[in-house]
Amino acid sequence: MFAINNKKIFLIIAAVIMTSSVVIIGALGLNLGIDFTGGSLTEVAYQTAPAKDKVESAVSQHDLGGVSVRESLDESGDAAYIIRTRDLSESERIELSESVTALGEGGEITRFTSIGPVIGQELRDKAGWAIFGIVSIIILYVAFAFAGIGTPVSSWMYGAVTIFVLIHDVLVPTALMSILGYAAGIEVDVLFVMALLAVLGYSVNDTIVVFDRVRENLQKNRTEHRKKRKEVGIVHEDVTYTLTKPYDEIVGSAVSGTLSRSINTSITTLVALTALYLLGGAVTQTFALILFAGVLAGTYSSICIASPLVVTYAQYLERKQGNK
Amino acid sequence: MSETKTQPSEQSVAFLRWFRSIVLVGIIGWLMLTVYQNATSSEAENPFKLGLDLAGGSHLIYEADVSGVDPLEVPELMAVLRDVIERRVNIFGVSEPIVQVERSSFVTEEPIERLVVELPGVTDVSEAVAEIGRTPLLEFKLYSADLAGQQSALQNLESLTASSSGAVIGDISINGETIDREISEPFEDTGLTGRYLETASLEFAGSGGGQLSNEPLVSVRFTPEGGKLFAEITRANVGEQLGIFLDGDLISAPVINEAITGGTAIISGGFTPDEARELAQNLSFGALPVPIELQSTQTVGASLGAEVLDKGVKAGMLGFGLVMLFMIVWYRLPGLVACIALVSYITMMLALFQLIPVTLTAAGLAGFILSLGMAVDANVLVFERMKEEYRSGSSSREGAQTGFKRAWSAIRDGNITSLLSATILFWFGTSMVKGFALVFGMGILVSMFSALFITRTLLITLPEARKSDGSVLARLLGSGLNK
Repeated sequence: MFAINNKKIFLIIAAVIMTSSVVIIGALGLNLGIDFTGGSLTEVAYQTAPAKDKVESAVSQHDLGGVSVRESLDESGDAAYIIRTRDLSESERIELSESVTALGEGGEITRFTSIGPVIGQELRDKAGWAIFGIVSIIILYVAFAFAGIGTPVSSWMYGAVTIFVLIHDVLVPTALMSILGYAAGIEVDVLFVMALLAVLGYSVNDTIVVFDRVRENLQKNRTEHRKKRKEVGIVHEDVTYTLTKPYDEIVGSAVSGTLSRSINTSITTLVALTALYLLGGAVTQTFALILFAGVLAGTYSSICIASPLVVTYAQYLERKQGNK
Repeated sequence: MSETKTQPSEQSVAFLRWFRSIVLVGIIGWLMLTVYQNATSSEAENPFKLGLDLAGGSHLIYEADVSGVDPLEVPELMAVLRDVIERRVNIFGVSEPIVQVERSSFVTEEPIERLVVELPGVTDVSEAVAEIGRTPLLEFKLYSADLAGQQSALQNLESLTASSSGAVIGDISINGETIDREISEPFEDTGLTGRYLETASLEFAGSGGGQLSNEPLVSVRFTPEGGKLFAEITRANVGEQLGIFLDGDLISAPVINEAITGGTAIISGGFTPDEARELAQNLSFGALPVPIELQSTQTVGASLGAEVLDKGVKAGMLGFGLVMLFMIVWYRLPGLVACIALVSYITMMLALFQLIPVTLTAAGLAGFILSLGMAVDANVLVFERMKEEYRSGSSSREGAQTGFKRAWSAIRDGNITSLLSATILFWFGTSMVKGFALVFGMGILVSMFSALFITRTLLITLPEARKSDGSVLARLLGSGLNK
């Protein structure tokens, strides 16, 4: 019940979170990686690493346009540099790798990726289409699955709220990514898109569990009225419902009823993500971090945003009817 | 007798429950053993398939230029291209290379045909790229007087501008049409290319017929279709010059004396015997039907891949351990049942990875670890409903049964939306995202199965108790931080 009783506070907090996320993303932007922009990434590891400016000057000898060199560690903990350039032709790649591996003892190219701009653009388009497709299908399914929910809020509203909550849950990790990109130079890659999609799935699932309980409680606490009427010789039966308890109380008990499930599932998921973050290696560390933020946001929103929002909407409907 | 049949005794029901549970656990145990054997034995039929980022290797994406080809013929051409490159890569001696055709999806304006080449274990791509790229592109083109005229005009212009310093040629147009300044040779495509080639062999010119004796020649035999095309071209253009191009360079341009219907052609171009032999070999190993260009390269060192895999497995074990610990501490006996369900979830998923097979990547591994936390969700949903019933006085078994009934709609709706999302992802995704979507979707189905079937079977086998009993068993069947 606390979520419903304090709904104003929670919704204000949600508004603050969402606005600040949008501001952060807008101000800092996203540090798009070569998966999206095209370009190449060369990771060179050394046993004894040369100074960064040495690597930089070696790279700048080649005419490769804008170049950035970032210090890093490879998977076995050796010192490494990540060199980002535009996408390289085969001969440019060979020249570059020869000149940088010669700089320090045991120099070795441990990773090389080059992506043409067309593939990057295509990935961007595809990601956009996939998200659009998923969002539409979720609205349709929720509206359909909750079609019997009836009074006082229509099933479409539940679908719309699910999507609103989803936007919240995706904005938070995206803002985190924006900060990580700004502060630590971490780039948005395909893994980030996957993390967001996983957050999306988690968020919807979490919200649906709460709404499912709302649906069940509504069905338990209502009386049915059937009224027959004749129209052009055909008998229609109108079924209307009146709730035996106030709507906000019903929704509140649904939130309480699903609270420990929401928290426990997020604990098991967060625990698995923590293991991934701690032991999973550099490749998936950002993935784990982004998902961690997303799952936290998803848990908060399914408890403190989704239900308060439908109750607020129901009260708005009531006021509107009262005014008539 | 008939009474016992319609209403089986409590004992036989209990026996049946235990029997089912034991059989189920036995099957899971057997599956676990199979997965383990497949994973460790070197001769296993279905080992895990590791992606390049875990096994080390190179991933190359080529773009095929199909602009000059009839769209209807493109799929067939790409298949030919794939076969040719596959042969090339096989010569290279890579174990289990993958060569596949990929078409950009409809979100791009024009479909782009790509060829994806995966070379496990090859971390020095230069050699591989050279090997793939060396394959010659053979084309037959007809001499065109128009193009020749344009070209000579161009040459005249250029020599003019060269003599008068400072003048630079802008666009040139003939009859209002801007012409291509890059005409290298005045020849037009005929559509006859290396794709119609069956074999090529080294021959030496006979001493007779006025030809230079013992000149090395390359004789090419066309496929029946190619032979027909060649016959048509030669028949229609007697007296014209037919240019033979190798990788865009004109190597010879014999004059067509008569229609050639035999389906063979001779390429002579002042070769040395070695050059001719190499050309014949390259041609018969595969002339490319369409030109290709390397678009993206990805290389991961083998030691790096092994390290990533090792870390992923460790992270998975820790995650698995922590999730189990939480479930047992919080849900006690039912929590233990959930752990068995989780073990069977992992076993079934790994078995599917081996059987389908699903290529495991670092991203896939991360997704799988994430799913360990999410897979218990259905169990949690059921246990929470069960707890409510149990606290309000039902027996543990009744509580479990009601719990499953009540939790079903939430499990169904939540999982269907996730499944729909996975389907869409699979539809739109690039190959990497597709793998993730597949694992995601499989995880949903398998976790539902493990919760609804395995947890249920085991949970109702557990001995019955009521909260009011206050016994140790009754406490074990409860949950949460209280007694």
